[in-house]
Amino acid sequence: MILTWKVAVRAVLGPVAAVLLVVLVESGLLPGYQAYSVALAATYTILVLSVGLLAGWAGIWSVGHPALFAIGAYTVAYGSAHGWTSEPTVLVAMLLAGGCGAFLGFAGARFSVLYIALLTLAFSLVALEVINRWVDVTGGDQGVPVTDLPSVTGAGSLGAGGPEAVVAAILTAGIVVGIAVLARSTSLRMRMVAAKSHPVVARSVGIAPEAQSALAFGVSGAATGLAGALLGLITGFVSPETFSLTLGINTVAAAVLGGVGAVGGGVFGGIFLAFAPSLAGLLGVDQLILQGALLILALLLLPAGVVPALGSVLRTLLRRVRRPGEPSVVEPPDEPAPAPAAERRTLEVADLGVAFGGLQALEGVSLSVPPGEVLAIIGPNGAGKTTLVNALCGLVSGGRTAGSATFGGVDLLRARATRRRRLGIGRTFQHAEVFTELTVAENLLCTTRWTTPTRRRAVDALLGRIGLAGQGDVQPDQLPFGPQKRLDLGRAVAEQPGLLIMDEPFGGLDAEERRLLAGQIQGLRAAGTSVVVIDHVLEDLFAVADRVVAFDFGRPIGSGAPEEILADDRVRSSYLGTTSAQQPRASTGAEGPPAIALSGVTHRYGGVTALDGVDLAVHPGVVLAVVGANGAGKSTLGQILHGTLSPSSGTRTTDGDVRSSLVPEGRALFRTLSVRENLEVAGYAAGISGRDLRSRIDQAVEWLPERVRTRLSIPAAALSGGEQQLLAIARALIADPRLVVVDEPALGLAPALVDEVYGRITGLAEEGVTVVVLEQLLTRALAVAHEVVVLHEGVVRATGSPDDPDFATRAERAYFGSPVSGGVRAG
Amino acid sequence: MSELFLVVVSGIASGAVYGLLGLGLVIIYRATDVVNFALASMATLAVYVALMVVQRGLGVGAAVIAAVLVAVVLGLVVRELVIRPLGTGRLFAALVMTMGVSLIAEAVISDVWGTEPHAFPPLVGGTVTLGSATLATQDLVVIGVSAVAMLAVGYLFTRTTLGSAMRAAAESAATAQIVGVPAQRVARIAWALGLGLAALAAVLYVPRVGLAPTVLAAPLFRAFAGIFLGGLTSMHGAVIGGVAIGVLENLAASYVSANFRDTFVFALTILILLLRPQGLFGTRSFERV
Repeated sequence: MILTWKVAVRAVLGPVAAVLLVVLVESGLLPGYQAYSVALAATYTILVLSVGLLAGWAGIWSVGHPALFAIGAYTVAYGSAHGWTSEPTVLVAMLLAGGCGAFLGFAGARFSVLYIALLTLAFSLVALEVINRWVDVTGGDQGVPVTDLPSVTGAGSLGAGGPEAVVAAILTAGIVVGIAVLARSTSLRMRMVAAKSHPVVARSVGIAPEAQSALAFGVSGAATGLAGALLGLITGFVSPETFSLTLGINTVAAAVLGGVGAVGGGVFGGIFLAFAPSLAGLLGVDQLILQGALLILALLLLPAGVVPALGSVLRTLLRRVRRPGEPSVVEPPDEPAPAPAAERRTLEVADLGVAFGGLQALEGVSLSVPPGEVLAIIGPNGAGKTTLVNALCGLVSGGRTAGSATFGGVDLLRARATRRRRLGIGRTFQHAEVFTELTVAENLLCTTRWTTPTRRRAVDALLGRIGLAGQGDVQPDQLPFGPQKRLDLGRAVAEQPGLLIMDEPFGGLDAEERRLLAGQIQGLRAAGTSVVVIDHVLEDLFAVADRVVAFDFGRPIGSGAPEEILADDRVRSSYLGTTSAQQPRASTGAEGPPAIALSGVTHRYGGVTALDGVDLAVHPGVVLAVVGANGAGKSTLGQILHGTLSPSSGTRTTDGDVRSSLVPEGRALFRTLSVRENLEVAGYAAGISGRDLRSRIDQAVEWLPERVRTRLSIPAAALSGGEQQLLAIARALIADPRLVVVDEPALGLAPALVDEVYGRITGLAEEGVTVVVLEQLLTRALAVAHEVVVLHEGVVRATGSPDDPDFATRAERAYFGSPVSGGVRAG
Repeated sequence: MSELFLVVVSGIASGAVYGLLGLGLVIIYRATDVVNFALASMATLAVYVALMVVQRGLGVGAAVIAAVLVAVVLGLVVRELVIRPLGTGRLFAALVMTMGVSLIAEAVISDVWGTEPHAFPPLVGGTVTLGSATLATQDLVVIGVSAVAMLAVGYLFTRTTLGSAMRAAAESAATAQIVGVPAQRVARIAWALGLGLAALAAVLYVPRVGLAPTVLAAPLFRAFAGIFLGGLTSMHGAVIGGVAIGVLENLAASYVSANFRDTFVFALTILILLLRPQGLFGTRSFERV
């Protein structure tokens, strides 16, 4: 934790306000019953703060806090009846409630948000029952009085609804608010938020979500126990109806209203909860209706809560007064300061295999990465690259592993995902998975448990190296995609890892950013870090890689220097395909107006451009193949052609009403539904029913292979891959479309099945249906389509007919992107 | 022996009510990702309206129909007014939203009809003697009507096109959207169905304990426990879980301690959950990372 001036001022606000209130009470300016209301508001503030911060920081929503609140109150009652002194009693209350909370947090970490909420609900119900029945201690529904508790110091006593209790409650709340403000700037809070918003990524930076959840709920429970103790002290009497489930709901409502995760929101909520009855009386409405209605309105209109909403309005105003203009993104220096030296270790993978069920995703992989080497792994979609990364990162929970993978002698296959950070393994993500609820600097700070001044200076230096100097307080989602990826990289290298694993680091970056990234990777190599890079876009890899390993079908098929590997026939054909059997292709007259035409279509996801200025005409009755490597923008183009996705700019025009169906990548069947039911759903969606639907289904069934035709009642999950693909196409045909878009029909299929599937797809065109196939392999596209469009990084690089003898060469060059020129031959 | 038989039968009768409520919760959850905490209070409100029908002398049958209709309308109004504007994918916000609805519904009931319990007539009165055991006829009616309702739901979901579409949308909302299943229509049907089942559960349960504003709170929590057991995404899990909770609770009350029946039931449920977090019949798909 760093005590900056701003934080210090904010932290003393709570205690100062509390002292002022105490002065008001003591001087008699506030009458007795008002003072009691203020003390009640103070205890509720602690309660709402516990609930709201737990929800906002750790992502745990609890309706069980009334039970923890009750534990505090009854502990005080018990202590007062047994002559305990006040301080130890309060401590016991906090320990009991905190212990229960920690248990709930630990047990609940295994569950999703909803289950943990229901778990706390059950806890609350059980607590209520125990309170009502355990009469010896709680007095049952009669309640139990709280008498004076002498202080352990011998100076005075607390309790029985006396003025000392009121003062104690107000001061305690002030201190708790102060502590909460301080806690905001600790690594502890950042790690909780990180674990909540992105558990998988959090593990990769060494944060264990279970531990965070138990810790957070424990602290929240202890604070609630403290609040309960104060409640017992200021009221002088504890009875069960206080701790009903309604209080749990009202507390959540107050926290949501004020703003979860904001300290000010907790204070607002606590005050609201204490004064809601008076407010309802003033307005002449039922208190519960007021609270329910405000809760609903807050969720609909101010989902962030009242206090954060006010805060952002204020900040906007202040900004306008102080300095016009947006903070600009500074580009990283061309010659980045050298990265601190890393520990030199070697990654050794020997005969590694990973199987999911019957699918062998990875087999017989052996490789060694010495310190300071950049190894690139390439291969088409489904080659096993991601599985390899996940195995190295400890994320293949569902699969069986064989062989070994060690880093510096430590077995990676047995080490937990969270241990990798300590072993010196960093990882970056394809989509720059930054923690969006933390600021840029906090994204880097959260990787260690303690925030020291040295650490903060190191983070500032790191921000400079990745070109984000001065951006530390910005929310990462306000940055463009490029800087977000640099932040992701910065987080991965924050502690000078010995090994850095990068998943598609170049994806989505522009030319200048790629150049910078290549420089950064070279800087890391110079510092002794080994780097494993996975990507589809070959040209970028070759700028940084010392060595390239090509994968296909889960095993390495070649290894060597970049220039050698691209000249390797097996590697080239794994991208381009080797389909030898030329499909008989009926030449259709692609005359007349296009069925669908795209003009100047550009599409962006967030800051990433998927398609850039695409012009395309799909003529009726043809098979059009759109070819490109993974990430070229094929699926986006398919969805735009289908009409379910509207492009960011550009137009889609159709020749009259063109009914279209999409067969998504990966087939997307309803796996638990039977074959017939899968077809029925499509009929329901198209508004077809009764006899009409039955006859359509009969037609579609005719189209399916024999083995499926006779087994319409088995679940779709039980079909083979090829059968599933045919069923997915049959399902698309139920709506009797004029255009069918089929996304990667060959993915994951054995070669014989691929030919069968493609045979049937081209058969559709002969029946007059226009077919658009999105395909990774160029040779296959050339073999089956009437027209081929080659996409490279969202741009149409070549269009033509396979019958044109020069087209294959042009298409191949376009497929790999222009810079790679050596060894381009006809496929 | 005959005592055990009685305890089990009356446990099944309570469990059938929990199962119906749980089924309603699961149907709504699967279709719309909303855990509908207001299910019980909206059904209770509907039963108060049904009580007015009874007091007009229109008979219990008409009252049951009225309760179901009112609950369905209430459910659709609530969904369109406050849940739909919330958007999709906001699991907890939706749960909190229904908590707010529940607060309002209970307050409205208390303001209009008061908090004193009212008697609500059973569908059939009297008792049946089976050997040496004497059973309330209403218990058997509860079991019978619930069984019919559950079978009807089962038929709808497994034998009709609409049912296929609803199961498809539950399995993968994204795929259902690609195929073109109308998401809003499926959501409305699910809410109507869920509320209808809840209202039916309410009119079956209320005669035994009397009609009060929070009369369905306890059954709702036991239905939750049943869903815990069965798995949040499983329909037959909700029914089996609910019935199991009903029987367990009655056994615990008769043979362990009448005072700590909730503690017993929830402790057992949580123990099972710690061993099998996805419930006995659920899938882990609800855990989104």
